[in-house]
Amino acid sequence: MAENTDKMVIDGVELTGIWKEFLPSRILYEDVTTEFLDEVKKLPGGATIAKCYQCGTCTGGCTLPDFVDKFNPRRFIDLVRRGHYDILVNENKDLVWKCVSCQRCTHRCPRGVNTQEVVRAIAKFLEDRKVFGKLTNDEAFDEVFMGEVIEDGRIDEVKIVKDFYSKTGRLKDMMRADQLSLGFKMLTSGRIKLFGGKIKDWKKVSQRLKEELQ
Amino acid sequence: MKTVLVIGGGVTGLKAASELAGMGYNVSLVEKEDYLGGQVVKHKYYKLAPDLRPAGDVIDPVIKAVESNSNIKVHKHSRVVAVSGNAPEFKAKIKNSKGESEETFGAIVVATGFEHFDPIVKQEYGYGRFKDVVTNSEVEEMLNPNGPTKGELKRPSDGKVPKKIAIFQCVGSRDKQVGNPYCCRVGCVVSTKQAIEIKEKCPDSEVYVYYMDMRMFGRGWEELYGKAMEDYEVIFTRGRGAEVTLKNQQLSLRAEETVMNRPIQHSVDMIILAAGIAAGDGTIDAAKVLGIKQNDYGFLAPKDDFLSPNESSKAGIYIAGADKGPLDIENCIVEGAAVAAKVASNLKN
Repeated sequence: MAENTDKMVIDGVELTGIWKEFLPSRILYEDVTTEFLDEVKKLPGGATIAKCYQCGTCTGGCTLPDFVDKFNPRRFIDLVRRGHYDILVNENKDLVWKCVSCQRCTHRCPRGVNTQEVVRAIAKFLEDRKVFGKLTNDEAFDEVFMGEVIEDGRIDEVKIVKDFYSKTGRLKDMMRADQLSLGFKMLTSGRIKLFGGKIKDWKKVSQRLKEELQ
Repeated sequence: MKTVLVIGGGVTGLKAASELAGMGYNVSLVEKEDYLGGQVVKHKYYKLAPDLRPAGDVIDPVIKAVESNSNIKVHKHSRVVAVSGNAPEFKAKIKNSKGESEETFGAIVVATGFEHFDPIVKQEYGYGRFKDVVTNSEVEEMLNPNGPTKGELKRPSDGKVPKKIAIFQCVGSRDKQVGNPYCCRVGCVVSTKQAIEIKEKCPDSEVYVYYMDMRMFGRGWEELYGKAMEDYEVIFTRGRGAEVTLKNQQLSLRAEETVMNRPIQHSVDMIILAAGIAAGDGTIDAAKVLGIKQNDYGFLAPKDDFLSPNESSKAGIYIAGADKGPLDIENCIVEGAAVAAKVASNLKN
């Protein structure tokens, strides 16, 4: 008789077999890996991720959950460290970007984790793996914003709004009455200008920036 | 030379002094306050974990053994201001309000102990801003029938009996922000004990403990932890308290329930901060006067942690108890006896 075989007769019925096979244990994650941890650690700002001891001070004091209820920096760190890549992508890929960098978590962390930077690094890690498919609003805005800074050296409000809407394919939304009246109000009160000024000889700086960012 | 100077009149110093006197040494005990018993007496510790036996049961006999022994000279309200010479002959200047005196000793035992961490630097917990945020030593005074509230649990703001009480663990311990990355070693069991005492006093109150790890390594501690959960229904939530605010005139705490992956907001009547253990003034003073080594956190460093735990970096000067790092009363008494044995055997040779 094989090992792990239990001999049992109940009410004259023989129940002999390997009990382990009758009641298979529920294993959801078989391969836990630290490869993602190593990857995030190497990204800018990700170095302190391994210091975390999962106390939850960051999430407990986070300013975001009032608005984005599932935002949870401690969990992002946990998922990366445990190698639960699928949960990170399926449930959290749209959340990690929402950090507003108020730095409360970093300031309070009892272990010296630079939480805000680590969350950014996790977002970058997901971006590098191209999990987002089409451009998100956040990414589109980042691209338009950085593009403008590099090209002109300053932000032209009207242009940035127009570019943002056209990039996300919502130019029609921009022409909605409420948007137009808001724009008009801001224009008349001097909040925005129709044409932003130019910076002298920005071309050279712009050239240099582009070379650096290549 | 059969005289020994013991600095510090807490549990460790008292035990060391009475043991040494019992072996025939003449002991001078120097205490900066005008009472003996150290932090136990200062903060009116009421009951001791894990047996919930009155602290007086333990500290009174230790004090009595010192006061009744004619070989021990107790200098209250005194400080050691200067020490010169080397082993086995030290000259120590003892100063009190009346003046200075110089005596010669064969050995010096430093048992200057610890002080409770002051949570005012953890500004997010609101200690000092909100009256109902109190420390665990203040609760100990409250529970003691000889304390300011005559043993009644009342919240400081309006004197009402609190219904919902939260306890924050690891305040000023395991925290790099305040420079104390070490574990205070007693906070867990003290909070569990206080939770049980509160539940016994007010059975319809609710007690919530916010913790990161419950470190129940001492004798009977784990059993006490089980008792708190099973018999007293104390709710232990894994998540460090993040902040305390005032909402609709009520204390409101925020933390993450890490098991549930969600931040929670919790309105309570009183918050107890389990303040950690820091090196006391007396310890830092003694290190300066005697010229002995301290560790990174201000505690005294033994010559060898494993092989000579009670010897300081200087020959003839011995260290014991909570001035070496956080320690519970039970082990402080062990330390006091251990250092006495070491001193006696070294002085004999």
